[in-house]
This record gives sequence, C-alpha cells and structure tokens, in this order.
Amino acid sequence: MSSALLAGRRSRVARPLQYLALAGYIVFLGFPLLFLLTTAFKTPRELQAPDPTFLPQSLDLANFGLAIAKANLVQAAGNSLIVAVSTTIVVTLISLPAAYALARFKTRLRGIATGWILLSQVFPFILIIIPLFLVLKQAGLLNSLLGLILVYTVWSLPFALWMLQGYVAGIPVELEEAGAMDGGSKLLILVRIVLPLLAPGLVATSLFAFISAWNEFFFALVLIQDPALQTLPLTLARFVGAEGQVQLGQLAAGSLLATIPSLLFFALIQRRLTSGLLSGAVKG
Amino acid sequence: MRIRRRSPSGGGATSAGPVTLTFQSLAFQDTTIAATKEIVDSWNSDNPDTQIKLVQGSWDNVHDQLVTQFQGGTAPDIIHDESADIMGFAEQGYLADLKPMLSDDVKSSISDGIWKSVTTADGAIVAAPTLLQSYVVFANKDAFDAAGVEVPTGDSMTWDEFADLSKKLTKDGKFGLGWGMKSPTATVMNLALGFGGTFFKGSGDKTTIDVTDKELEVPKRINAMAYTDKSLDPVSLTQSGSDVLPGFFGGQYAMYVGGNYIAQQITESAPAGFNWVELPPLKGSEGMDQAANPQTMSVSAQSKAPEQAAKFVEYFINAENLAKLAEGDWLIPSSQDARDQVLKDTKGENGWDQTIASGDSLVAAPFQAAVNYPQWKDQYATPALQQYLANSISLEDLQKQLTDGWSSVSGG
Amino acid sequence: MTAATASPIATAPAPRRRRRQAFRNSRDAWLLTLPALIPVVLFSVYPLVQGILLGFTDAKAGLNQVVTFNGVDNYTRLAGNELFWNSFRIGLVWAFGVTILQFLAALGLSLLLNMNLRFRGLARTLALVPWAIPPVIIAIMWRLMLNPSYGPVNEGLRAVGLPGDINWLGSFATALPAVIVVGVWAGMPQTTITLLAGLQNVPTELHEAAAIDGSSTWQRFWHVTLPALRPIIIAITTLDLIWNFNSFALVFVLTAGGPGGQTMLPMLFAYNEAFRYGNFGYAAAMGNVMVIVIAIFLFLYLRSQARSRLS
Repeated sequence: MSSALLAGRRSRVARPLQYLALAGYIVFLGFPLLFLLTTAFKTPRELQAPDPTFLPQSLDLANFGLAIAKANLVQAAGNSLIVAVSTTIVVTLISLPAAYALARFKTRLRGIATGWILLSQVFPFILIIIPLFLVLKQAGLLNSLLGLILVYTVWSLPFALWMLQGYVAGIPVELEEAGAMDGGSKLLILVRIVLPLLAPGLVATSLFAFISAWNEFFFALVLIQDPALQTLPLTLARFVGAEGQVQLGQLAAGSLLATIPSLLFFALIQRRLTSGLLSGAVKG
Repeated sequence: MRIRRRSPSGGGATSAGPVTLTFQSLAFQDTTIAATKEIVDSWNSDNPDTQIKLVQGSWDNVHDQLVTQFQGGTAPDIIHDESADIMGFAEQGYLADLKPMLSDDVKSSISDGIWKSVTTADGAIVAAPTLLQSYVVFANKDAFDAAGVEVPTGDSMTWDEFADLSKKLTKDGKFGLGWGMKSPTATVMNLALGFGGTFFKGSGDKTTIDVTDKELEVPKRINAMAYTDKSLDPVSLTQSGSDVLPGFFGGQYAMYVGGNYIAQQITESAPAGFNWVELPPLKGSEGMDQAANPQTMSVSAQSKAPEQAAKFVEYFINAENLAKLAEGDWLIPSSQDARDQVLKDTKGENGWDQTIASGDSLVAAPFQAAVNYPQWKDQYATPALQQYLANSISLEDLQKQLTDGWSSVSGG
Repeated sequence: MTAATASPIATAPAPRRRRRQAFRNSRDAWLLTLPALIPVVLFSVYPLVQGILLGFTDAKAGLNQVVTFNGVDNYTRLAGNELFWNSFRIGLVWAFGVTILQFLAALGLSLLLNMNLRFRGLARTLALVPWAIPPVIIAIMWRLMLNPSYGPVNEGLRAVGLPGDINWLGSFATALPAVIVVGVWAGMPQTTITLLAGLQNVPTELHEAAAIDGSSTWQRFWHVTLPALRPIIIAITTLDLIWNFNSFALVFVLTAGGPGGQTMLPMLFAYNEAFRYGNFGYAAAMGNVMVIVIAIFLFLYLRSQARSRLS
C-alpha cells in the first residue's frame, strides 16, 4: 500500500514533466512543418521584413503558381508518380511469390536471400552506381524512367521482401494444410486463404516501396539528365540551387506541393501502417 | 517513358535530311531565358534542316551533369558553360575543335585575350566565348546620403578608398559592406589580377602554382575590412551573393559587391524607390584588370553533326543576338560589334556605359588553362579561403594550403 | 533483426516422402523466387561485383579511355589522401552522432507514447511524418529554418536576447552539429516506431512484479524494460548506423559538403570524385574502403553486444 501511495505522489510530480517532454517533442517535430506551411503563403516582402510575423498576412497563392511554373513541378510530379506507382506494382508482384517461398520452404535459397538482404543494406550506393550507370547505358536505359523504375525496384526489393516474408511466416501453416485437405489446388489456397490474410502486409510493403521511390534522390541524380524526365526531388534540389533572387516562398510552396501525395497516401493508411510496421518491426 | 539511343554513325555535315541538335542553356534570369528562346526560335524557322532543341540546365550542377552526360553518351550537342570549367573536358576529348569551323569574321571580332581563355595547350579552340562579367561595387545612394558620405565618381576607385568608404558608412549597427563570399575562389582569382596576382604559370598538365603577396592581397584586404575595420559584415562572407542581397535592399549594408548581372536582379526585385548606383571599378596596384572568364558555347565531340552545331554557335554569337543576351543578363558581350550594339540599344544609360567600359580591363588569366582548376577550387582553394575569411587561419596557412593543395591535385 | 523461422510442419513425414517433397519444395522455391532474382542479379549483384572490381582499376572519364587493372595503386594513393580520411572522420562523427542522439530521442519519445498521455496520437503522427517527406524536402525545410536572416531559429534567439546572426549551415563551427540535428529529425520515424513496438511487447507482468518489489520507475526501466528491449535496440541502432553512414541526399541539399568540406560525408566525397572529377576507379576504391570499415564496426559492435549478453 505504501508503494502505491508513493507511486501516486511520484506521478503527481512526473505527469507534468512527462507532458512537458511530450510538448517538447511535438514542437521539435511539428514546428518545421508548420513553418514550411506558413512560409509558402508569404509574399517576398513579408519574408524580408525586418520584423516578420509567424502567420502570413494573407493567404497568398502566388508562390504556388510561380513554383509550379518555374520549377516545372507538374511534369516532375507526373514523372515521380509514374516511377513510384510502377515501382510499387512491380515490387509487390515479384516480392509476393518470393516472400512466400522464403517463409515457407527451407532451402539454401533462404540463407542466400537473407545474406543478400543484409548485405544490400551495408554496401554504399557509390559502389553500385558507377557500374549500374554503365549497365544501363549498354541497355539504352540511361536517362529513361524505365531504367529508374528498374533500379528502384531492385533497390527496395530486399527490404520489401524482408517485411513481407515476416507477414507470411505469421500466417499459420495449418490454415493452408486444412485448405489442402479440403482438396483445393495450391494456387486456390494461396489466393483464397493466404492473400486475404496478407493484406496488411501488402499494404505496408507497397507503402514502403512507394515512399522509397517517391523520395529517392541519389540514383535519379546520376541516371536522369534530361530535364523533361526529372523526378520531384531532383527538380526541387535544382530549384534550391537556382542562382538568383531569394525565392524562399516559392521554394516552400514547391516543397509543400511535392510532399502532399506521399503525405496523403501516408495519412490514408496511417493507422494500418502503424500496426503493420509495429508487427513487421517485431518480427523482422 | 523514353529510351534514348544515339546512332553510332558519326555522320558529318553532309548527312542528308534534317537533324535535331540539343542545346543545353544555363540562362537563369527571366530576361535571358526569353532572349535565348527567341534566338533559338528564329534559327529554327530559318533552318528547317537543322532544328535546335532547347534544354534548360543550371549553373549549380553543370559540371557534374556534363561529366555524367559525356560518360553516358547523352551530352547535348551544344554546350553552354564557362571557360574555367571546360578545360578538363577538352583534355578528356569531349569537346570538338571549333577552329576549322568558325568563320574569320567571328574570330576577328573577339579579342585575342578572350580567345586565349578558350584555347587549349595544343592550340584547339574548344568554345566560343559569349558573355563576360566583372565584379562591381553597388551602392545604396540613400545610405550614403544618410551617413553624409559622398558617392565617389571617376574612372576608378582604389582598394584603400573602398575600405575607407566602408568604414565611414559603418554606424548604428549597420555595415558599410555586405559581400557574399560563400564561393570565394572565383572572386579572388578574378580580382587578384588588379594586384598582379596570377596564381598559375604554364598551361595544361604542366601548370604550376605560385602564391605570393600579390595573390594574397585581395583576401588580406577583405579580411582586414571584416575583422580589423569591422566595416564588412563577417556573416555575409559565409553566405551566397543572393542571400546577402536582401540585406543590401533593406539598408543593412550600404555597399554590395557582385557580378554585373546583379544589376538585373536589383532592377527586378529591389523594393520600390531603392536608389542604387554602380561605383567606379576597383583598382589595385597594377590597375583595374580582372580575369576574363567568359561564358562559353562548345560543341560536343560526340555530336552527330558538329558542323551544323558550330553554325548555330556562330549564329548565336552574332552581334545582334549577343547584344540581346548581354542586355538580358546585364553582362559584357565578348565581341566588339556586340558591345557597340549594346551601347546603341541602351544609349549607355543605367550604368551601361560603365559596364561596357569595364570589358576593356578583362584579360586572360592563367587559371582557366589549368586543367585541374575545378578540383583544386573545390577541395583546397574554397575551404582555405573560407577559413581565412572566417578569420580562423592565418595568411601563412592560407598560402600553404593553396600551394600544397595544387601539388596534391596535380601530382596525385 | 533475426529472421522469423517458418513454422515447423506438424506431422513428421516418412523419410522417403520428405526427400521427394524437399526436391519439389526446392524447385518451387526457385520458381517463385525467380522473378525477384533476375532483376536483383542483373541490376544489383552484377553491378556490385563490377563496382568492387572497378576499385582496382584506373577507370577515368574521357572519350575512348582504356581501363586497366592497377592492383592496389588506388589504395596506396588513398592512404595518403588526407581529404578522404578527413571526410571519413566527419562521416563517423555524423553517423555515430545521429545514431546515438536519434536513439536517445526516440527512446524518450517511445516511452512517452507508450504511456497513457493526451496528445500522444498527435505526437505519434508527427514522429512518423518525416518518413513520408523526401529527404530533399526535409533539407529545404531546414535550410529555411536555419536561414541566418529570416530563419525562425535565429528569430527565436534574437527574441530571447541571444546573438541571432549565426549562419548555422555556413560557418565552420556550427555546420556539422546543425546537420546532425537535421539528421536526427529526419530519422526519428523508423527508430521511434521500432522501439515503440518493442516496448509494447515487454510483458506487463514483469513490470507488475517489479512494482510489487517496490522498485522505482527508474529501477524498473533499467532492470526490466531495457534488458527486454535489448535485441531491438541492437537491431535498430545497427541499421541506423549503416543508413546514416551511407546517407547522401539530406546533406547534399543542406550544405553539399560545405563550408570548406566541414560536412563532406564519405558518400559525398566519393560522389564528387566520380561525378565531378571523373575518377571512377578511384571513387570505387573509396567505396570498397567504406564497406570494409563499416563491416569492421559492425563486427565489433555486434560481437561486444553478443558477449555482454552471454556474460
């Protein structure tokens, strides 16, 4: 009883401290985002004022228009979308059977794949990019979105495979065996029984693939030279460097626009994602 | 999704049928982008057999981009860059020799000093020079009036006068001078010529460095203004030119140093009523010389139609076009005809007479011919100068780092 | 991260059947894996092997360059390259700095998120958001935050009467620390979510038992929570360390390695060597050295962790 009392007294001291700490985290994590948002609406004059206000004086959309026009954001967004969606589809399609094989069959392949997955995380891209550049050049895939999709697929495959096979392993094999006894074909069992149970895993995996491809910069920097084929991160990075007037507002507006798709995607399935990541993280 | 293949046949000017050549332009001010587009459009309508496709590049990453483009065989046919950046590419065999392809008219309209900045050690001309810049001191006239300081006039201004002015203008928490020196090397290399500082001797692979008091004079004076006189804002030295500009507009700095092209940005984005003038050119112990580091137009050695590409380059730099570009960028055209054209168009107003006149003090400097200059600049000169301008190393350290850096870059 | 093992088959089959099944399993496994295997081999294994070999050649940019093997020349040259080792040192400071700070920050946050506090939903969402933002944009955002003239960081300092004219990303003393803070911000999601998952898996009975023993919150955290979290902590810090050491985009946009090479991470350095100066073989050699150093660090770290777990 005394310990319960003690705990009660302690929590009266601890609670405010905990809230204080939580508030600190919320400010650290949230303020930069809020600042980006408000900057996007400020006019150049407001931004350069000696005593700036935090909130913009009006909801000025000029920055967005200028950013879209100057940085060619629409075309870049289109390229990013093509690359990210294609990568997601291809990664999901090819990692699904492979993940199943890795989780269910005990073969030498499993050891090799696990080794490769870990190894692929260790190697710096600089080792891969130069020969990859030459390989893609020989294949005529340099400076093309198709080449980029291939690279992103291969690049996000190890981790996707890793996540997905964790989910497959989490599905009791007895369910499949029960299906087999009922006389279903192997394929039917997979489609009817395994696939639905794998849905959260597929969501997490495809989200991972989408966001990796949407966010990627290094490969695009080296492999894409044609401005018409640039992805969003590439376009925005160029926009930062663009010598000339201070265009903080436009930069913020462009950045905000470029973040919306992945944030939206993220918000839509955040709840599922969190639980998916949580279980994935523990198993993985 | 597009798959690009370049045909292996390097067919020359005789190849039948229309060709499409890509031209990667680095124009970045709205006015120059428009002028470039206009020139390309008029060429395209006059020359149905040689169509030019305009592609936008950026000064910021042009070097990296060209390395990957050349290596990947996707380089544009016509390449916009600057002379200090292209000598390495010339050495690697990526740039076509324009010497046999350019007409005598073009050759004679540009001074030998400027041609020298685009000629390799073995005599090949690897680019046509287009526009040049000199470094200019801009002044906020109202700040001068408020401080009771007279705006200097005349043909030149010595560095001592400049420092003096800056001191007088420093008061009430405001600085006499804001100078964006985030990338200090080019500025220092250019202005050092006024004190006879040439840094390099020889050309190509055999270039050697010699850092003497002459070479160190400019950084020494800037350092003194920032830390002895305290009339130059040291924070501005860590920023880029465009980052410092708002402070100049806002009255935080009475003077600002930058390339001529800044004039264009001032007219475009300064607050209404901002009262500015260009001060007379800076003069060192050896005069007003600055390095001629022209923007360049090169033709890729991998181009399928180098002759047509060279024809376009020649068209691009004719007096009328070059004047148009120069006026857009507020820069000095390389050829005398174009300079005359600019003076005619602008009637010499808004400081154009001064801008064009400063073109006469632009002379070839040995650093452009040094093949490893870009790497030395990135890895040694810029860090060393930045540190010296942050007052964290001594002048002797600066000298040593610049010298040792060159031997690592060229010896390694 | 340890691999989840496939569930054991319930009934032990007869030896002969098992062999036949194993054969079929193996063939099926290969067939199922093939679609993933082909692109991986073509665009990952093959380039990687090529890349390692490239590190032993004099490959350079240039028209019609002939590439020859030059043995260990690259490595002897690299041994004397002060700039590279300096960049290596910066890379280690960055990787360890970010990983450790990130771990501490994420641990604190995940402990808070595991409590029954209000607003924790908001905090959890905010902790995940950086993951959905491209590193390039995170870098742009923080460039705005840290802008010496109008950035809110300096505004805030000025508001409380501190000197507010520091060019965080532009001056030698502050650039690396500032970049590390941004690195921590950007990497919060993975670390927080992983630790939170671990915390939620710590059996509550353990805590209750410890509470009955009368141990303090701190004691409970030290003796119950932390040991239970240990495998997860090792896994996530190991991954964070590798990811951070190999990171590129964030710092490329924030500072591009400047000022004066103060934030020149090894990846940036090698990128410049290859794609600015055109020394492909030399750059690949740098990559090889990086792999070896990472491998050594990992080996030492994991071995020390394994040892202390045994003792």
